[in-house]
Amino acid sequence: MQRSVAIVGAGPAGMAAAIEAVRRGCRVTLVDEAERPGGQIYRQAHPALAGEEHAEPAELARKQALIERFQRIVGKLDYRAGATVYAAFRNGELHISEGGRTEVLRPDATILATGVREIAIPFPGWTLPGVMFAGGAQAILKSQKVLPGARAVVAGCGPLPLVVAAQLLRAGGEVAALALLRPLTDMLAQPRSLWHGREIVRDGFRYASTVRRAGVPHLAGYVPVRTRGTECLEAAVLARVDAAGRIVPGTEREISCDLLAINYGFVANSELAAMAGVRMHRDPVIGGWLPVVDGWGRTSIPGLFAAGDGAELRGALVAEADGTIVGAAAASPGVEASPDFELAAAIARRARHLEFQKAVRRTLRLPIELWRLVTDDTTVCRCENVRLAEIKEAMASGHRSLNAVKRNIRSGMGWCGGRTCLPAIASLVELSTGSAPTEMMTPRPMARPVSFAALARRGKAGPT
Amino acid sequence: MSRIKFDVLIIGAGAYGLSCAWWMARRRTGARILVVDEGEFASGASGRNGAGFRMQWGLDLNIRLCQESIGFFETAAEQLEYPRGIELKQDGYLVLAHSPKALATLRSSLEIQHRYGVPSELLDADDCVKMVPALGRDRLVGGTFCGKDGTISPFLLLDSLLKACRREQVDVRYGTRVEKLARANGGFSATVKDGTIEADKVLLCTDWAVPELLASLGIALPVKSLPKEAIVTVPCAPKVKPILISLEHHISVNQVARGSIIFVVSRAREGTEIESTPDFLSFAAPKIVDLLPGVADVPVLRTWGGVSSLTPDMQPILGETEVEGLYVAVSSFRGLMTSPAVGRIMSALILENDTNDPVLTRLTPRRFETGDLIVEPLLNQE
Repeated sequence: MQRSVAIVGAGPAGMAAAIEAVRRGCRVTLVDEAERPGGQIYRQAHPALAGEEHAEPAELARKQALIERFQRIVGKLDYRAGATVYAAFRNGELHISEGGRTEVLRPDATILATGVREIAIPFPGWTLPGVMFAGGAQAILKSQKVLPGARAVVAGCGPLPLVVAAQLLRAGGEVAALALLRPLTDMLAQPRSLWHGREIVRDGFRYASTVRRAGVPHLAGYVPVRTRGTECLEAAVLARVDAAGRIVPGTEREISCDLLAINYGFVANSELAAMAGVRMHRDPVIGGWLPVVDGWGRTSIPGLFAAGDGAELRGALVAEADGTIVGAAAASPGVEASPDFELAAAIARRARHLEFQKAVRRTLRLPIELWRLVTDDTTVCRCENVRLAEIKEAMASGHRSLNAVKRNIRSGMGWCGGRTCLPAIASLVELSTGSAPTEMMTPRPMARPVSFAALARRGKAGPT
Repeated sequence: MSRIKFDVLIIGAGAYGLSCAWWMARRRTGARILVVDEGEFASGASGRNGAGFRMQWGLDLNIRLCQESIGFFETAAEQLEYPRGIELKQDGYLVLAHSPKALATLRSSLEIQHRYGVPSELLDADDCVKMVPALGRDRLVGGTFCGKDGTISPFLLLDSLLKACRREQVDVRYGTRVEKLARANGGFSATVKDGTIEADKVLLCTDWAVPELLASLGIALPVKSLPKEAIVTVPCAPKVKPILISLEHHISVNQVARGSIIFVVSRAREGTEIESTPDFLSFAAPKIVDLLPGVADVPVLRTWGGVSSLTPDMQPILGETEVEGLYVAVSSFRGLMTSPAVGRIMSALILENDTNDPVLTRLTPRRFETGDLIVEPLLNQE
């Protein structure tokens, strides 16, 4: 019988895995929340929306090339756009919700290509409208083709703030300041890595040149510490931090803006893997939990694979190569013994791009002291309105694990299932006790809320 | 490991274990009490249950245990010096019947409830739907309602008990699993990972896991495990003011103070699986839509599992075992709602050898040898 492979996520890793599994003759089901393929990084606007993209031409070419390759095989796929996986189990079942119905998939192999989400360090005023993730601001530009704000401050670490600042400028916005925790020139310490990532580095120089030509003030070592505004954001207050991540007194600067776009890096969307019972480990650099995988994406559960940023944060180019490799492993058990030319090429490509990611990773390390930006009154868990003071009180009572903290003050029990606050709480526990929690909060169904009516209506929707 | 000998070692830091410890510490100042739990805070059955309480039972002892306990919940914030409160909500409990036979059982229980002063009343189907418009009318014939029943937050009850215990110098240790229990030096020794614990008396509050520990002393007690699973929705507008239980659907429904609706669903299976099972939602969702069509569009936020204890007559087991100084308190799936009364009764029994409470005679662990099983009409109707 034809081998069946289910893939969760249609970003670079998921698309590449689908292409590879189809090439190897599998029956492939690809489930993705978005209406159009691309994931976060290659997000596509609705075709009817006019307006140009503001990304670098080379980056757009990479995006177009992958999407075109995907479009050529999409007819051979069971492609579920706009569907959500709300549970994964050790027995291999994937439970999906689509169009007001639910369905259970029982594939021979599953590839989780669920990508990443952004990290937030909460600070006073971070919940004010106008404060958003830098990737979120970029998503508005990419998918809606509108500016998320007229006058922006972009802040954080790693390469994304620079990219977002440049794209806001190219879209006609004003950028009042670009604040980077670590200079991107940190990457220059690893010239060999930079050479391996030369196509990305070239894009980076072009984005930097856009920002420089616009005369955007660069606040090196500054981070947002609070905001001003009543109904919505009126100004951001930034301060300089030292190498250990402590605020340097007397360095505060207030900058008026209606958009504060922040990115402190990413954590994996690893809840489905953990829910299925996969062995997990905590990423030592940026925090967050990852499935333990080998070079072929195999997790501790036979038949369950993870690929791309959801397996380890390494960017879109690694994710695309990884998707091909993991797609091959899921489609053809034993393929590692005799890789064909395409597979060998993907392995070489992934190795080269991984070299570059070593340099990127240097710019993403967050000093633990930076979490002191969170004041006692700052809301950390927005769904359940939990402030830092309550988390501290729970920790003082001896509740140190994420599960025990949750049972005490409900952090992580709300709408988002802890996706936003749990990495923060793990870091806050580390800051307060000197060691990070070893276990993630037990992820349970549902990964996304689904109504009783949909849960009661089983089976695939018929043609409408 | 400290060499002190404890007066009482309590195994299990759920609602029973912590309540018994607190009552003992209050009863005898200076008593050396140790509570150990293999898991972490609120990780067992008490932290996983549906959070409801009721005095609507068909048997005097259940009514009395719950009446006393509800009186405690009403004043818990003061008694346990816990200003945050335990999210007490007394909007009543509606027991639903979907067949004339079930309604007849409910009706017959009213008599004993009224004898003990439970303010319960009989409702017809129209009354039920008027009270909870989200209810489905199909097959619904009526129910009974008591306005004093309600819900608390299990987490807050456990946290308030934990803090009160520690204030009273009770030693509570999580992550401490008792591997083996043995008699030693006129008392007991409990083997844990990093040594042994000595105590004069031992109280087992591990509920469904009690047989495992008793086995090391050669005692058998017919306690089974009953896995249940629960669902919580996102917070929504008030739809279910009182708690509901449907005898036919085997579902209880509780919209807590924050607006989330909690469903606890029982189905006939055994085992000690504590996590959600793959086929649970497809089993539960149609039943929930049938019972409460008005919640069909409410999104489910999370599911979880738990295990409660089940005894042959579905009644708790409270008392001393055949081994002197070794006590058990098994809840038979109503631990949270009876924990205050059980704490008081067990503390008097263990510290003062007070066997006067009539509940103790009937709930004794010896009843399974003598065959004096108890009949609770509300539970034995099927």
